[in-house]
Amino acid sequence: MSVLDANFRRELEIRRYPMLVYALVPLAALVLQAWLPRVLGRYAWFDLPLVVTVYFALGQPTPIQGTVLGAVMGIFEDALSHHAIGINGVAKTVVGFVAASVGTRIDVENHTIRLILNFLLSLLSGAMYVFVYRILLGLELDWTWFTELFKAIGNSLIAVVLFPALDRLQIRD
Amino acid sequence: MESFFARYRDLIVLLALLLAQVIGLAVQVHHTAAGTNTLDSPDGSGVRLIRLWANATVSPPERLIHAVKLGAGSLWLDYLDLRHVRQRNQDLQKTIDRLRLEQAALLEDARQGQRLQALVDFQQKYIYTTVAAQAIGSSGSDQSRVFYIDKGANYKLARDMAVITPDGIVGKIRDVFPNSAQVLAINDQTSGAGVILETTRTRGILRGNALGQPQIVGILSDNRIQPGEKVLTAGGDLIFPRGLPVGVVEKVIRDPERENFIDVIVKPAAHLDRLDEVLVITATEPRFSTEQQQDLTTSQTLMGAEAAAIKEQKKASAIMAERLPGLTDPNAPAATQSSTPATGQPGQTPPTPAVIPEQGQPKLLHPQHPDRFTPNTAAEIPTDASPAPAQDTSPDAAPNVKPKPEQANPQRPEPRRNP
Repeated sequence: MSVLDANFRRELEIRRYPMLVYALVPLAALVLQAWLPRVLGRYAWFDLPLVVTVYFALGQPTPIQGTVLGAVMGIFEDALSHHAIGINGVAKTVVGFVAASVGTRIDVENHTIRLILNFLLSLLSGAMYVFVYRILLGLELDWTWFTELFKAIGNSLIAVVLFPALDRLQIRD
Repeated sequence: MESFFARYRDLIVLLALLLAQVIGLAVQVHHTAAGTNTLDSPDGSGVRLIRLWANATVSPPERLIHAVKLGAGSLWLDYLDLRHVRQRNQDLQKTIDRLRLEQAALLEDARQGQRLQALVDFQQKYIYTTVAAQAIGSSGSDQSRVFYIDKGANYKLARDMAVITPDGIVGKIRDVFPNSAQVLAINDQTSGAGVILETTRTRGILRGNALGQPQIVGILSDNRIQPGEKVLTAGGDLIFPRGLPVGVVEKVIRDPERENFIDVIVKPAAHLDRLDEVLVITATEPRFSTEQQQDLTTSQTLMGAEAAAIKEQKKASAIMAERLPGLTDPNAPAATQSSTPATGQPGQTPPTPAVIPEQGQPKLLHPQHPDRFTPNTAAEIPTDASPAPAQDTSPDAAPNVKPKPEQANPQRPEPRRNP
């Protein structure tokens, strides 16, 4: 439990953004996630809300904001699907918490670390999704590992491009 | 206590959020009598409210993106991408000149083609009422094969209406909002459509698999099912009209969970991944144009008049048959027609013609009593219960016999009524 202690955190630079960025970037991620699969078809191997959740969670001083953002993004995704509301919510809540917890301890400015973090957190999100759907709810779900693997790779590549672009929107003193 | 909350504030928030969502999930799932869990359908009011908010948030930007995409495409094609247009114009002018020459030769063929086309159009005319809509967005999840269209309750769309394209079926409406609707595609795992294989007439249920491919599940192993066979809607699900194209069989695989069962992977006829415009069947009652309705009314009127005329003719025939004497039914039983030749001797049965008349030819009936008007019957003995006097039966004496009052009637030829 010591890793969850506030004293364990490293000294990091707290990122701040305009309020408009906090509102528009998640919304854009949700809209693009809903629209792009129509263009790309079955090759839409990415989860933009997850990438945005990870990005904002990594830069927060406490895990609470990342956790709440993950919950909101996940619930939005569920609401746009026909599944029960809360499946993605639970998965992204956990991802947001883990990302924020990790972000307070390691240097997340490095591109390689960002890439690896996104890959692992995407796999965690997929595993949580399957866990909630199959185990917690006891519903039938046909599911393949390689799809989650491709999605994790896609998320990692998008993060490498998207994170520096979002870094430019920070409020710098 | 305060330090405890401060120390574990992050964990408490995490657990609170997770607990709230798990409780929300538990509310939405219920246990069925079959022992399995299933989601509530339709959604509860609270869940529907959340979906409505999400849709209201995401749909306007999606509409904007869709409009921008169309506008950008139009701008690019009409104004920007104009390279080599002059050369292309010259080429097209030459092509037009050549085509004008060919046009005269093809004119007759074209007229024939137009006639055939009109025939095919008439044959293929769709009689159900549909509403055209554009696909504007999707769920964004490969586990939820749903998409959104730009028409909703304002266009009288309702849940469970079939969504099709001219190529084949697409899905059904799962949820309706004022200006948009959510469509559950046939390649979703939770979808279900009754289908039938065109050649083998095997029925099954179509649903999606993990890869987003529609497949027919729960079919016993059947070697007759081959790739390329057409799949049509069976019409039993009360959503899709019968006979709509679904796709063709792509391959047949063994059901991994059940022995002796197979899964038939179907290549959908509609391009489910790239849908732009779809049709929503809003009513399955046959729709006829004004001209067709007038034709139907005229046809029914004529049929009624013709039936009345036929009935009148039959009635007149029956009356005439009753009034016409001497005609008998050629199909009358042979027992009533004795083959004994006429002898004119007392005590013998009345004679009848030796040759049975041909079918359809009228035959003169034998009179019930002898008379002097009917040839060869003057001395015959009637067969009825009132025997004639013996002295009146001689052929030579017959003309001289003065009829008695009680014999006046029997001596007159009486018409016999047809049965």
